Amino acid sequence: MEPTQLAGSGDAPPKQVAQAMDRLGRAARLIAEIRLGADRILEALLVSNENPRLSEKAAELTLGEEDAMRRHFLDLRTVGKQLEDSGVLSGALRSRGNSWGLHMPLVCPDGAVVAYAWKRQLAGQAGASAVDRARLALKAFSDQKRRFFPQLEDDQLNRSNNDTIKFPPTKRPRLSHRPTQSPNIDFTEQKPMLADILKSIQTEAPGVTISTYQRLEWSKRAESLASTMNDSSLDQPKEQIVSNLSSSFNEVAVIELVASGVFRVLVSLHPAGSTDPDAVAFFSPNEGGSYLHSRGMSVHHVFKHVTEYADKALQYFHSSDSNKALSHLLSWICSHQSLFTKICSKCSKLLAMDKSLAVLLPPVHRPYLLNSKDHDQDFATAYHIGCSSYDV
Amino acid sequence: MPVKWLMHFQPNQGTTLTSQVMAEACAVAESFPGVSRDGRWRSLMTFYRAVPRDQSLPAPSDLPRDLIGISLHDLPNEYLFVMRSQRLILRAQSSVQTVMDKLQSYKGRFFINFEGLQYKWGDFKLRIGKCLYNPNEALRGIVMEVEYLPLSSIDKSQRVMEEFYEIWREAVASKLLAGQFINTEVNFVDYGLGDSYTPQHTAVLYGMCVVQVIASSNKNQ
Repeated sequence: MEPTQLAGSGDAPPKQVAQAMDRLGRAARLIAEIRLGADRILEALLVSNENPRLSEKAAELTLGEEDAMRRHFLDLRTVGKQLEDSGVLSGALRSRGNSWGLHMPLVCPDGAVVAYAWKRQLAGQAGASAVDRARLALKAFSDQKRRFFPQLEDDQLNRSNNDTIKFPPTKRPRLSHRPTQSPNIDFTEQKPMLADILKSIQTEAPGVTISTYQRLEWSKRAESLASTMNDSSLDQPKEQIVSNLSSSFNEVAVIELVASGVFRVLVSLHPAGSTDPDAVAFFSPNEGGSYLHSRGMSVHHVFKHVTEYADKALQYFHSSDSNKALSHLLSWICSHQSLFTKICSKCSKLLAMDKSLAVLLPPVHRPYLLNSKDHDQDFATAYHIGCSSYDV
Repeated sequence: MPVKWLMHFQPNQGTTLTSQVMAEACAVAESFPGVSRDGRWRSLMTFYRAVPRDQSLPAPSDLPRDLIGISLHDLPNEYLFVMRSQRLILRAQSSVQTVMDKLQSYKGRFFINFEGLQYKWGDFKLRIGKCLYNPNEALRGIVMEVEYLPLSSIDKSQRVMEEFYEIWREAVASKLLAGQFINTEVNFVDYGLGDSYTPQHTAVLYGMCVVQVIASSNKNQ
């Protein structure tokens, strides 16, 4: 454990900010440990349920995890208290007279934590472009991964024995419903699945162009979209939408779906190369910039609402059938090609005034409930926010 | 660039257009919940006349007589020319007006100022303005621009704009204005323009709309 250093109010603000940054980092790591511990406990419970002869070992592991979790919680509480005292969480530092006008660490909308929001020559982070920040974030993540999940490096060696309990650090459920599958997931099985899913969606919805990107590739593309849109001095030819499917699906982290003239949707996969969608966002095809990512938000009301609804749909797809979540999600997204042409299934109009928001919107709620037959799912209905009779 | 529709106010038979109508139209816009005023806007249209080099000879008959130039409110650094009869549009830097002045091959015959108030309503932007004939500031008409920010495809936004137009017309009718707003229908393909909306589209809309405005104002005088 790092020694706790108290940065009193007599310390220079840069030191306070550095301390705050450090503590935030520690808090994030502790939270990650706690989540991991919770996963391990659940794994142990599930395994001991399915495999009674392993239940003793599972019980041992559970107790060990419980201790570790308790410690982590205590540490987290301490760090939280330190952060509170230094004013990071409440913004109290801003009102202090000797704060020199510095703001506490700024958490940007895309999750990047920036130490200095105003002084560019000091911390390079604030002045860095989104690409640089993404690169720094990636580096931080891979450092953390190396530090906290060292067993991932040795994954190749761990696939042999069915009897020993393995706890891979990914969140993907290892125990599937099929009895023939071993607890150790063979990662090579996933790659064809992503390609298959994308191919089948492409045939199902020919009007939508699907492209895949690695994380950094996408942030470059998002930036280039901004400069294309802003370049109003040139007469732009109709945007060449070319499907850009990565040849290797190992590191695909972003799926982009473009329906010409209607939307651009971003779906992120976590971990990269898997078929687990973890966030989705809708944008106008004429938007561009570093805020274009699966956790970003469009500037337009219509797409903001569709994105909020899409979050619910994503959670629903995950909870109903995690293996098929991605393909259901992509089908559901493709049904939005008619976002600006399909009338509401209740009031039969296209535009309706949303009373509480005081804006005119097309039907932005497309029910995502899956029927039990699980085929011919066409997500064909659409409702205005006010016309949805229940929260679907 | 977001798609736009352009409408002009057609007074009822026998009524004349007054600036009262402008105030009433703005009141209709402001009556919608969630509408917020967003400043003023102003575009300027110039009607050019060809000036032949040699004044003694009669002007050649093939010189275009309907050249108009437009400076749009949302593109202050650019200038657009429209030649309706030939269906030509030219987009240039605003410094081209200096070139025109120096060349003296075309002179501005008269001018129309479009100016008024701008509103933001969710994903829509509304601009209601008077058409003022320069030099005597006579009110020739009232126009309204409707812009839908999320979409740039004319085809995909067609239904949205149609429904908005209906909502607007109903509101105007219910407030008993002495006339109605008529949309400017243009076949952009004739001008060689595509589905993706550009300032050239706006220039063509204004070119067509002003013809109707002048015609209706001449009829009612």
